[in-house]
Amino acid sequence: MAAATRTAPRAREIFTTLEYGPAPESHACALAWLDTQDRHLGHYVNGKWLKPEHRNSVPCQDPITGENLASCLQAQAEDVAAAVEAARTALENWSTLPGARRAQHLTRLAKMIQKHQRLLWTLESLVTGRAVREVRDRDVPLAQQLLQYHAVQAHTQEEALAGWEPMGVIGLIVPPTFSFLEMMWRICPALAVGCTVVVLVPPASPAPLLLAQLAGELGSFPGILNVISGPTSLGPVLASQPGVQKVAFCGAVEEGRALRRTLAGQGLELSLALGAESLLLLTEAADVDSAVEGVVDATWSDRSQGGLRLLIQESVWDETMTRLQARMGRLRVGRGLDGAVDMGARGAAARDLAQRYVREAQSQGAQVFQAGDVPSDSPFYPPTLISDLPPASPCAQTEVPWPLVVASPFRTAKEALAVANGTPRGGSASVWSERLGQALELGYGLRMGIVWINAHGLRDPAVPTGGCKESGSSWHGGPDGLYEYLQPSGTPARQPSLSENLNYDTFGLAVPSTLPAGPETGPSPAPPYGLFVGGRFQAPGARSSRPIQDSHGNLHGYVAEGGAKDIRGAVEAAHQAAPGWVGQSPGARAALLGALAAALERRESALAARLERHGVELKVAKAEVELSVRRLRAWGARAQAQGHTLQVAELRGPVLRLREPLGVLAIVCPDEWPLLAFVSLLAPALAHGNTVVLVPSGTCPIPALEVCQDVATLLPAGLVNVVTGDRDHLTRCMALHQDVQALWYFGSVQISPEPTSAANPFFAEEDWP
Amino acid sequence: MAAHNLGTELDLSWISKVQVNHPAVLRRAQQVQARRTVKKEWQAAWLLKAVTFIDLTTLSGDDTSSNVQRLCYKAKYPIREDLLKALNMHDKDITTAAVCVYPARVCDAVRALKAAGCNIPVASVATGFPAGQTHLKTRLEEIRLAVEDGASEIDVVINRSLVLTGQWEGSDFIKTSTGKETVNATFPVAIVMLRAIRDFFWKTGNKIGFKPAGGIRSAKDALAWLSLIKEELGDEWLKPELFRIGASTLLSDIERQIYHHVTGRYAAYHDLPMS
Repeated sequence: MAAATRTAPRAREIFTTLEYGPAPESHACALAWLDTQDRHLGHYVNGKWLKPEHRNSVPCQDPITGENLASCLQAQAEDVAAAVEAARTALENWSTLPGARRAQHLTRLAKMIQKHQRLLWTLESLVTGRAVREVRDRDVPLAQQLLQYHAVQAHTQEEALAGWEPMGVIGLIVPPTFSFLEMMWRICPALAVGCTVVVLVPPASPAPLLLAQLAGELGSFPGILNVISGPTSLGPVLASQPGVQKVAFCGAVEEGRALRRTLAGQGLELSLALGAESLLLLTEAADVDSAVEGVVDATWSDRSQGGLRLLIQESVWDETMTRLQARMGRLRVGRGLDGAVDMGARGAAARDLAQRYVREAQSQGAQVFQAGDVPSDSPFYPPTLISDLPPASPCAQTEVPWPLVVASPFRTAKEALAVANGTPRGGSASVWSERLGQALELGYGLRMGIVWINAHGLRDPAVPTGGCKESGSSWHGGPDGLYEYLQPSGTPARQPSLSENLNYDTFGLAVPSTLPAGPETGPSPAPPYGLFVGGRFQAPGARSSRPIQDSHGNLHGYVAEGGAKDIRGAVEAAHQAAPGWVGQSPGARAALLGALAAALERRESALAARLERHGVELKVAKAEVELSVRRLRAWGARAQAQGHTLQVAELRGPVLRLREPLGVLAIVCPDEWPLLAFVSLLAPALAHGNTVVLVPSGTCPIPALEVCQDVATLLPAGLVNVVTGDRDHLTRCMALHQDVQALWYFGSVQISPEPTSAANPFFAEEDWP
Repeated sequence: MAAHNLGTELDLSWISKVQVNHPAVLRRAQQVQARRTVKKEWQAAWLLKAVTFIDLTTLSGDDTSSNVQRLCYKAKYPIREDLLKALNMHDKDITTAAVCVYPARVCDAVRALKAAGCNIPVASVATGFPAGQTHLKTRLEEIRLAVEDGASEIDVVINRSLVLTGQWEGSDFIKTSTGKETVNATFPVAIVMLRAIRDFFWKTGNKIGFKPAGGIRSAKDALAWLSLIKEELGDEWLKPELFRIGASTLLSDIERQIYHHVTGRYAAYHDLPMS
């Protein structure tokens, strides 16, 4: 009765105001689960909870009330080692199972999640503060779909992925701002193809631990999924454990870069997915109201981790801003476990980051608009729209944090692309236009891993997503996601670390000076001299040369000593040639590679003679030339098959998967097989539309220069640039060019300098109309 | 009724500029239902509010004065008195927004409502409902006769052949459909219509009303419609002058839910008076 009297006046009041009330989702089951662990979470390793003693622990708090929910142990190196050991043991059995058995197991895990989904979504929302609606209606179903999709892939693995084998133990590092779904995108393909996984999650993130427990409780195959919680600084420890073949990292750009630096030279595969900013391009031909909903989806619905750059065509600027601001007024912010909020809270760190950005933007003259129904207490941050931020201000250069939208106008499609691509980030974007041609053209022009057309943030397990530029080089979802965890059958295990003492500050800094090296007993005709840059041989900037000796130690000839200036010229020439080469049809590219192959064939005896002087048996030398010719022809043929595919996903629209060239590649050839290595590295890069700057074999560079004589007459200038000289020094020079999209290094020290070396000479870009 | 839409110069460029992305609208329609929910006393208050938006409707070929009379009483007493008392809402004079009948039944409705001592307006569908494919002359005459009989609101079926050939008509209220089509009030369609209403308001300052009709049967549906209006147009549209729900069976489900809210039990069929 007491309840009724309390109810009555409220109903009267609500009847007049028609306001929304609290719609709390009970989190009793999440608390009950934490109770089963006595509110004390450890790690989940080998199908069991691991709670070692004498470890630090951090509290896991409700980000809104600050209430202590549990304490979480922080892993130390021994715990990491134990987890990797479990994964290694599990690998023996798991990787040799028939795909169908693994498929069965993944399906069982999907069902397990289905059975305990309420626990999963309330726990995730409780701890992260994200809107429960998003976790419940999107993340949890998507997690199940991911398992089911990858179960199907495992089922057909023997036929579809013949010739490939699982890499082994995969280390996965997930930083704090990412939901358990990011983990699912990576563990599903890894487990499906037969890898086992150790996941390092930030302290106080119980949802991944719960998932590991669910997997562990399936009984069979404990140890395929191990979750340990600890700081990101444990990443290198995880990576250096024997048996770990690959580390997949997602998180902030700076952290990813640091990890790349630490792991360089360890021969370890590293895949990065960095940053969380997205971009929305709104043209005057857009359904503006729907585009405004796209902005909400992108930033203010707890779907993505980052903020949004919003580009609006000037002619619809006012109209869009009015609608956007009206829409913002209706957003509701509150406790994530409330079923009727759009946005939850993300803890103090995220709020402070947003606050700092806004203050700085304001100090630089930007307009800031905030709206929405936001509780006044501190953990919340309102939906925020920033405009008039001068493009040159320091603020405009940095990544836009959650939950901010930075709007700026553009006049023409061309300008839109220039602005959109004028950032080091290349994660995801959407284009809004009802004009099909315009939408597609903008989609093609955006240098982004994924582009949605008239939608934002759609995900499907069958559709690969990833990033380009600073946003990383890894793919997840679809077939591309599988190859991230596969290697060609018979690949040798990774080499132990070679370069622990490598000093990046001094590596390749000095150029050894070279002096005349005795009597020149060079061959006739004399080998071509100079650096091959921009389609012709030219003298090196340093105006000095290095002697090349034959196998008997006699002077074979001099080659130019290239330096920083020459590399700069070569990179410039390669950039100039790039648009023309990309624009060539695959057929034309194939024809030119074919012509080069024919020219090489004509030169066979001369090339073989050069190789012979370097101590290669004539028969072998001839075979090397012949094989080089075959390689060129083979890659020419493959230029025709670019791998673009059209896929129809369950997204009310087709998915176009495009393979685009990386751009300018720097290639440092090994000393061995001076001709074959040169051609084998050059051909795929060219076939896929890249232009290259190449350092040929250090001991025997002359065959490569010989080939350049034909390149000069056959291929467009600047497409292939060959710079001879000190390998380490030239590598250093090339690594300092940030517009060189990849550097393939085969050399003295196993280093992998930045920008990241890519195993795959092309990347995909998705358009989802 | 709100102030009449006095109309503006017909500017077809407004219409030709409209862009509607169908998949995006479908997504919005899905989201708007999932992102808002009201519970407990909020739900009860919202449901009572929904009652005041209902055009309680009977549009059957076999309507007679007796079932129209029953309908009118239900319009006057939509929720059992004791339930309203429990919610302390018995003095709020909660009735449906109108009673909606065929032109030939307007007389019956007016008489019944007068007998019940209330001033609930009578709405009538007219102009060759539901197809509208009759002569302009008879359609106009139909309106005139319905008004003479005491109808104060007319749901006009527009000449859709004119619309499809780009010759538009104006109105004070727009309705999703007649309620007699195979597909009636759906969220995606409503979203497009509501956005048009908002644009028209921003351009001219005129507020046009909105009435979804057909297929709205459950209390949950009604709540979703209220929240859709609130989200797309705002609170100022949440009044009977600007928002109506055309429905015949919705009211009984709302009453059932109110019963449950008050008593904690689900009502049997015979616990609630029929309309």
